[in-house]
Amino acid sequence: MRILATDDDPIILELVSQFLITVGQHDVVTAKSASEALDLLSKNDPAYIECFLNDIQMPQMDGIELARQIRKLPNHATSPIIMLTAMSEKRYIDDAFAAGASDYITKPFDMIEFKTRISMAEQLVLSRKTVTAKLFAPSALKIAVGKDDAVDLHAPVELNDIDNVIACSAMENYVAQLSRSSLFGSTVFAFTLRKPETYCEALSPAEFKFLLEDVAECISDCLADHQFLMTYAGNGTYLCITESGWRPEMSKLMAAVNLHLNQMKIVSNTSAELYPRVSAGNAIRLVWKSNDQVLSALGKAQTSAEHAAAEFERLKSDFFHTGRLA
Amino acid sequence: MSSVALQIPGLDRIRLRFLDLLEHRKVNIARHALAAWDGETAEEINANLEAARSILHQIAGTAGTVGYEALGITAQHCEAQIIAHIEGPYADLAVCPGEIIWFIDTFVEACDGLAE
Repeated sequence: MRILATDDDPIILELVSQFLITVGQHDVVTAKSASEALDLLSKNDPAYIECFLNDIQMPQMDGIELARQIRKLPNHATSPIIMLTAMSEKRYIDDAFAAGASDYITKPFDMIEFKTRISMAEQLVLSRKTVTAKLFAPSALKIAVGKDDAVDLHAPVELNDIDNVIACSAMENYVAQLSRSSLFGSTVFAFTLRKPETYCEALSPAEFKFLLEDVAECISDCLADHQFLMTYAGNGTYLCITESGWRPEMSKLMAAVNLHLNQMKIVSNTSAELYPRVSAGNAIRLVWKSNDQVLSALGKAQTSAEHAAAEFERLKSDFFHTGRLA
Repeated sequence: MSSVALQIPGLDRIRLRFLDLLEHRKVNIARHALAAWDGETAEEINANLEAARSILHQIAGTAGTVGYEALGITAQHCEAQIIAHIEGPYADLAVCPGEIIWFIDTFVEACDGLAE
């Protein structure tokens, strides 16, 4: 894997280069500043670099802004960006992930942990290479319109260019980072698109992804007054994590999202209005939870939203089975 | 330092380079600390403290990884003291807290200990 490491400390650059070459036989390119890194990217084939290691605290442009600039480059919308930094405060962690970081390592770093993180990034790069190879294969056109290439309803999908929306793997890393920093005062909650399977079946893969992006944008707009991060976890479910101090009222939030969706008037390629609506699950506070419990809370938030969406649909058709009279 | 770090070929060379740079960085930190202590305006004091903090931040991030954990922690403490002052309620006064100078003195002493 070709890695661009950017840090204003020559010792860190030397250490990281030596380590990466030793453990993974990676190709390492180094830059002493964010502007040098961007210059290097502009002068080479955009796909030359496959993974980024950014320090945060650097003169002029910091590593968070560098991550934001890298994400704007067409070839790096999904490339792994690992922040390698001594800044362990939550505000830096939040800003880094919101700017597009996929992982976060605090200095002084443990080499075993560092090796694990790099391996994860490498797996991500390899999996994306496979997808790219498939897309550019001679039979790609046939596959693209075939049934086999449909978006997997149950799998996470990366949604790009939406404020505070990050990849599912980045969300897991973010949550793990919070656990390590003993910062548990956050809340997780989720929204599930009602009857996602009907949209997945009826729409083309591209249309379905556009729909997922529109819904994500709508939720993001409704949360804009708060600090949050969101990811699409698959199965029509959007997982959100928000700052401590704000515990969302889920029924009001759900109503706001659905009103916004109604106003957006989302249509298919054939101009048919789609009427997507979401159901909200329970808001779960992460206070005093251990790492495993935090991950389990994410699962619970997801399950409760999916259950709420299923229940909404069931009650629509099971009205006469509830014991009430019509 | 983890066993993996110890296995990196060339680590001794990196540690020597760290110690070489440390001497230069220590002098710069001490120079900025003295300039802050002698400073007559809040801007002058804070600019020098900020410059010292920036160098301490680099040392705090590297020292532990190359095997000098105690020095890294000392640098972190100095950095925290400076941040507390710069972000605190007295940052607009032309005063350099004596605690910062005391912490930096401890750091300089730790650097000298390593050099010996």
